[in-house]
Amino acid sequence: MRSVRKLLLPVLTFSLLLAAGPAQAGDLDAFTGKSGKIDIAGGTAHIPVMKEAAKRIMQKNPSIRITVAGGGSGVGVQKVGEGLVDIGNTGRALTDAETAKYGLKSYAFAIDGVAAVVHPHNPVANLSHQQVQDIFAGKITNWKVLGGRDAAIHLYTRDEASGTREVFWEIMLKKGKIADNANVVASNGAMKSALAGDADGIGYVSIGHIDKSIKAPTLDGVAPTQEHAKSGKYPVIRKLYMNTKGAPQGIVSSFISYIQGPEGAAITASDGYIPTH
Amino acid sequence: MRQARQDLTSKNAGRGENIVTALLFGAAGVSVLCVAAILGFLAYFCLPLVTEGQLGAVLSWHWRPMQGQFGILPMAVGSLLLGGAAMLLAYPLGLGLCLFVHGLGPAKAARPLMALVRLMTSVPTVVYGLVSVFLLVPLIRSGFSGSGFSWLAALLVLALLVLPTIVLVIDSQLRLVAPGLRLTAAALGLTRAQELLHLALPLSARGLKAAAVLGFGRAVGDTLIPLMLSGNAAQVPHGLLDSLRALTAHIALVVATDSQSAAYNSLFACGVILFAGTLFVNLGLRGLREGKEPGALPDSWGVLAAALLPSLAWTAAIAVPAAFVCQMASLLWRGLPSFGPALFFGDTPPLDALFHAAPVFEGIWPACLGSICLVLLSAGIAVPFGVASGMYLAEYAGARAKAVIGFCVDLLAGIPSILMGLFGFALILLLRRTLAPGANTCLLLSGLCLALLVLPYLISATRACLEGLPPELRLTGASLGLTRWQLTSRILLPAARPGILSGVILAVGRAAEDTAVILLTGVVANAGAPGLLTDKFEALPFSIYYLAAEYQTPQELAQAFGAALVLLCLTTALFAGARGLWTGPKHNKRSAS
Repeated sequence: MRSVRKLLLPVLTFSLLLAAGPAQAGDLDAFTGKSGKIDIAGGTAHIPVMKEAAKRIMQKNPSIRITVAGGGSGVGVQKVGEGLVDIGNTGRALTDAETAKYGLKSYAFAIDGVAAVVHPHNPVANLSHQQVQDIFAGKITNWKVLGGRDAAIHLYTRDEASGTREVFWEIMLKKGKIADNANVVASNGAMKSALAGDADGIGYVSIGHIDKSIKAPTLDGVAPTQEHAKSGKYPVIRKLYMNTKGAPQGIVSSFISYIQGPEGAAITASDGYIPTH
Repeated sequence: MRQARQDLTSKNAGRGENIVTALLFGAAGVSVLCVAAILGFLAYFCLPLVTEGQLGAVLSWHWRPMQGQFGILPMAVGSLLLGGAAMLLAYPLGLGLCLFVHGLGPAKAARPLMALVRLMTSVPTVVYGLVSVFLLVPLIRSGFSGSGFSWLAALLVLALLVLPTIVLVIDSQLRLVAPGLRLTAAALGLTRAQELLHLALPLSARGLKAAAVLGFGRAVGDTLIPLMLSGNAAQVPHGLLDSLRALTAHIALVVATDSQSAAYNSLFACGVILFAGTLFVNLGLRGLREGKEPGALPDSWGVLAAALLPSLAWTAAIAVPAAFVCQMASLLWRGLPSFGPALFFGDTPPLDALFHAAPVFEGIWPACLGSICLVLLSAGIAVPFGVASGMYLAEYAGARAKAVIGFCVDLLAGIPSILMGLFGFALILLLRRTLAPGANTCLLLSGLCLALLVLPYLISATRACLEGLPPELRLTGASLGLTRWQLTSRILLPAARPGILSGVILAVGRAAEDTAVILLTGVVANAGAPGLLTDKFEALPFSIYYLAAEYQTPQELAQAFGAALVLLCLTTALFAGARGLWTGPKHNKRSAS
């Protein structure tokens, strides 16, 4: 699936470029003749998009340096707020307090859902809202209750810096309890690889990270897909944002336009998210 | 002899000599300042907790930052449980291994076993972590219950990590006492085993205790193994299969949060606890060094020892190499297939990457370059200071300066590396708010913090080498009428060079493998080849840690194992080089004059 997407990508991009023609705002030409560096950190759902964009920009113009780090949305807010990076990514909207404290500006580029996920061999195919809440609160502790095999449920959650956690906690768990004994992992990627290896695990990831190595049971009968997230049928959704301290300048501004522009949208779509532009 | 040396230098002490002394003193003062700075930072950032009355919230049992609960006690208990359990396993095994080597096992096996233990010291913690995530954790998951990420997984690997420390300390103590016992033992008609059990071990009590203290310090100070293996649930575990979170891993996980909140400040409380732990370990060691010779052991010792120790020795001699070989075999098996140009350069043509600085995106080449830069940078900073401080301590310092600076150096050596990273990170935030608004986490900061980490190794190596030189050399200097600086620079330093060089290489190896420091001070997952000192960078240990958790394809996972193999080769080569160079003086301790 993923490799097909990867193959599709250049074709898609090329056709987009042909259609758009040269010198459109937000394409790679905006970086011609420029130099400098852009440091990016924060939301881990963003990383695939940021990496691919960085790769293309740096291949076109080697005098631009773009570094990409993760850490979670909390890191994104903190680092961009303290001025440690140029762009701080968040997988949730900034709070009023955060915007006021650091003077941040937000730029959304994608819609994404957050879904509870399990090992692909787990027979449980559907979970109700209530069941998910009970599982994460530690009230349901065995898969048998849910129609699975007789085995203890292994909970996985994210650290408090995670925007994915915040969205999942607010909308899916209705700010309910997450059991203290849940294992804590530090990113969407790490959550995925942990669950791909644990037949009795349950956790949650950005829908863009779901592939054949993990399985997302339907929620009250609704499959957690980006289409359902876009139409509003699937409720646990958020936007992915890039945030800057004050208005972005120079190549940082070009980078944000690039991500929000047609080529950025193509990258966003190929990584499994729905572009907002 | 010392009197003669002092007379000599007081006569010849010119201005140049004074300047040299001042410079060396300054270098040695750096480590004292560093310890003071780290402590100062921890205290400064803890202060808001006390003044704003949040201390109660921090010293509580629940870590729920969303609900305003910042309790770090579960993590403190987690660290203790993890370190304690690892020691409970590692210590008997380490002791058993020493006994095996010193007479309870066949003499032929002794040399290869000790070689293996020395090899173990060169394995980076992140490599153990990576291998265990894919070998031990699934084993525990299928063999027992739970997710596998647990107290048990972390303690087993941590035991393997601290074992060489324990073995080497006990071994050196046994070597020290054994020669004096041989005649006595022969006269009594004791076998080698009896000599060991009834004479050597009871006389080595000091070394036995030192091994326990040092091993525990190493176990509690490690970050990567708990972070990768223990599951990190902020709870007090009820059993070995439960997830727990250690203080060091907690700092690494939470440093991300808002830098003005109680959650952030609570990290420094964690830091204070870790620092206090280091302090106690050092005070304990000091007490051991200065304490009285041990008294007689209880009579039950002989019976107990005779019954248990031989089987312990054999268990250790089989279990430890087996566990280690399993780990390494798994690493080779999974890492070797990925070896090739693609591992380093991805889809970029290797020649373009090497000679035309073409950017590499899917390979570990930028991380290799980043690690090399980082190591050179930290060595460049630490070596001059370290060697100068060592020289000062060995040749210039008075008794008092020796005691104070020596204590600070020992303390610095025991501080968990994650605290160096936290120090660097907090330093940058403070600089940005005060003197230098443009300061940022970067290659230079990581280099500085790593230099801080390896500085004590360099100082101790230099000092030990100089102090271990034969006294005749100093007499020669005196008889030639050399000044102290002439003596040190022309005679003592050249004689001690191989030892000092091996100290430098060991320090470089330590700098190359550390992950916790760079984690907080500027390493990123994607940066390309290292640029300016003020840029963020990639480094091998972090790439391994990152790929182990984040791999999206089997190829990326294979790349993590390939990178681990590269890093292991690098550190092993460095350690082997250091060992080869150590042809200098044997550890003949200078007798207290």
